[in-house]
Amino acid sequence: MIDQGIKSRPTYEALRRDPTGRRHLYLCAGEGPAPDALSDGPLESWTVAPAAAEGTLRRPQGEGERRFRSSRQLLDTLGRRLAGERMGLRLYAEGPEDFLWDVFGIAQDHGLGRSEVFLKQSGTLARRVQCVHCKTFNEGVTTTIVRCAGCGANLFVRDHFSRRLSAFQGVKIDAEQPGDVPQAERAYP
Amino acid sequence: MILDRLIPARVAGIDSLGPTLKRFRFEPESGRFPTAAPGAHILVTLRGPERVWKNAYSLVTPPDQRDGYAIIVRRVRDSRGGSHFLHDHLRPGDRVEIGPPASLFPIASLARRHILIGGGIGLTPFLSYVPVLRARGAAFELHQYCTDEETGIFRELLAEAGAGVTVHGETSRRSFTEVLTDQPLGTHVYTCGPAGMMEAVEAAARDLGWPEAAIHKESFGGAEGGRPFRVTLARSGRTLDVPETQSLLEALETAGIEAPCLCRGGACGVCLTGVVDGEIEHRDHVLTEEERAGGRLMATCVSRARSDVLVLDL
Amino acid sequence: MGIEFRRDERFRESFSYRNSDAGVLRFPFPFGEDRYMYSVNIEPHTRGGPSPAFAHAFDVDEHYVAECRERALVLADDPGRCQVLPHMMPAQWDTLELLMESLSADYPEHFSLTKDGDAWRWINRPLGLDQSFVFGRPETLPCPPFEYITRQAQGDFTLQDQRDDNLFVDGGMVTTQADWSLDFDIGMSFHEWHGPVPLAHDIGVFDRALRFLLRLQYGQPVRRLNWTMTINPRLDTSPENYPDWGPDRTTVTPENVADKVHLRVELQTLFRLPRSNAILFGIRCYLLSVRDIERVEKWRKRLHRVLTTLPPELAEYKGLTRYRDTLIAHLAAGDDGAALSPGIQPDQTALAARS
Repeated sequence: MIDQGIKSRPTYEALRRDPTGRRHLYLCAGEGPAPDALSDGPLESWTVAPAAAEGTLRRPQGEGERRFRSSRQLLDTLGRRLAGERMGLRLYAEGPEDFLWDVFGIAQDHGLGRSEVFLKQSGTLARRVQCVHCKTFNEGVTTTIVRCAGCGANLFVRDHFSRRLSAFQGVKIDAEQPGDVPQAERAYP
Repeated sequence: MILDRLIPARVAGIDSLGPTLKRFRFEPESGRFPTAAPGAHILVTLRGPERVWKNAYSLVTPPDQRDGYAIIVRRVRDSRGGSHFLHDHLRPGDRVEIGPPASLFPIASLARRHILIGGGIGLTPFLSYVPVLRARGAAFELHQYCTDEETGIFRELLAEAGAGVTVHGETSRRSFTEVLTDQPLGTHVYTCGPAGMMEAVEAAARDLGWPEAAIHKESFGGAEGGRPFRVTLARSGRTLDVPETQSLLEALETAGIEAPCLCRGGACGVCLTGVVDGEIEHRDHVLTEEERAGGRLMATCVSRARSDVLVLDL
Repeated sequence: MGIEFRRDERFRESFSYRNSDAGVLRFPFPFGEDRYMYSVNIEPHTRGGPSPAFAHAFDVDEHYVAECRERALVLADDPGRCQVLPHMMPAQWDTLELLMESLSADYPEHFSLTKDGDAWRWINRPLGLDQSFVFGRPETLPCPPFEYITRQAQGDFTLQDQRDDNLFVDGGMVTTQADWSLDFDIGMSFHEWHGPVPLAHDIGVFDRALRFLLRLQYGQPVRRLNWTMTINPRLDTSPENYPDWGPDRTTVTPENVADKVHLRVELQTLFRLPRSNAILFGIRCYLLSVRDIERVEKWRKRLHRVLTTLPPELAEYKGLTRYRDTLIAHLAAGDDGAALSPGIQPDQTALAARS
């Protein structure tokens, strides 16, 4: 990955159990399982069944374990769950970056602060990119330059990241000299 | 608003609330006072016949009340901080000077519910919180802990605070843990009172898994004495002694040295002063661990010397 | 008395913006030394100092009416330039109070504020407004309080919420910005929204600035100057509209450099607000053409020296790379290398006629 020297891009550390919490909920955009460093005590674990296994997996048996059909379904359930939660909860999320910050946004909407939510990127490094000119979100971007699905501009994917939008910023690369577009490189597999 | 000088004011009235509690009301000599934050404190300069006190007190008036400020002061036995001067000598009409209201104890903007826990006279900042929380339609509870003798006084002070207010005397009071249990996500707790009580509130909240960011303590007023030491001022070459009952800041002021300060409780950082030599006993809430270890900066209002002599860059 | 407003100026299309001679001399020139590097150059925002632009809490000048109209044009196109997160309503009222009280006290011939309890009446004579409203009741104003009052002020404003020992940019009115997007950055922490700035992170500028600002006291605002350059006197150099103004950077020639290139200075002020404990960050933008800068001997020579020694990362970040050499070549002839007085003041009280 090319480091553009921009400090707003989050860095992620391995998930560890926060001993100051009283209840712990692990959310994974994939199959899990939760890392050992989380499992040192009671832990709820919410995972998502891989699309390839549709209809073939049995419900999880362990206490506090739930498996969802999609990360969308997991996120919707999370909102309802947090609405009734009490102080003392710690959230841990693992998955692609857009999933992580979607979790964070839901958590924040329900009163959790930055010190009560822990995130770890895993799986694809593909980026959600917002076109700063037309505001369209371009999902799953793996290249340094992407053509905006909204306005057609060739966007340079800046390392500037908004946690609120869960997206990187895309800026027209040839704004000063239209047509002067370098070759896109695959950078975020 | 640029407030670059003290605000001249007069004592508009003094109300006796109990054997050791008085409310002092001030009005500006001209114009209006600045809008004060909920939980704000002011530095009041009191000129007695023999010495000058500069003391920080929480405002008990709401932010939008600008024709008058009020504070409530308990007369402390063995007072060296000026509470006896306020109680025994200050009269309506007397002049005082008031510094711009400062806030080191703000209401958390993202909190979804607020638990206010006062101990004794530590109720004062919450008296300015309550009308603000009410006007914002915020969810809150106020728990005031005090001696049995003073429950009546505090109930009266809180008479207009409405529902959600409980005054706990010494008997049959609810524990902090009971108060803090089962609170919804996004609840913040604020506490002001004796140090031991605030630590107990903090410990109860931590024990229930509350994050540090949701626990707020009013931190000024912590200046206590300690071992006496000597100070040398590197630039002027002067030397002064700081006795055990005085803070370094007070000693500087007594010697007529212009020393910047604001909160007088080690929270704001305005009084941070360079240290050329000597070992510091840090008691402030401002410096980072790195700066403490560096030993080149100290808060004169609360911190003291571990060595016999300190050399200051003054 | 009072300010004579240049009402017909435009910051787009015809670019009819000009500074009067007095306007040139009151420009807050940002370079006190011959070299420039980032620093925590924050000082108390007390009235007075080396530029008349520091004389009041919020500076109003001859471009006031035209800048307010330009802001209205930008907002009509893109209402997202003014956004405030919901928890910042107390900060909105704080801002309105601060601006109305400051403007009416500092410029009584142009603004007036009268109060009867919560019933306030605000008169803005240059813009022809007379508004009665109830303080604390947003429905009594034509738009939310922060937007209402910042539509009537020069320069951008952001609101920083303080929590978790950090500052979060949780609101703003941003129509005259040096290439940053409020819509994208809103909600970011201090280091996140300064993320794209090069070099300064590594020398600890933002760590120190944040620690300082967390302790900013009510009634004791601070200020600093920042700068960049803009082609044509264009206020709205937003990333949103980069495709519109980006091509301007390729139009600079030795013939037009003095008229096209403008030094863009931000007088940044920071005020602690009372009810909200938020910080109001004012980013007041001043534009001065190189042709006008050259009329001040000290500024002409110093600008040449600063540009010559500017680190390439900074030149790139500020977008100067395409025309920097042309500009330096133009300024070189006017710099004899003589020593200059420290500080930003112009050292002269009258100007030569425009060349």
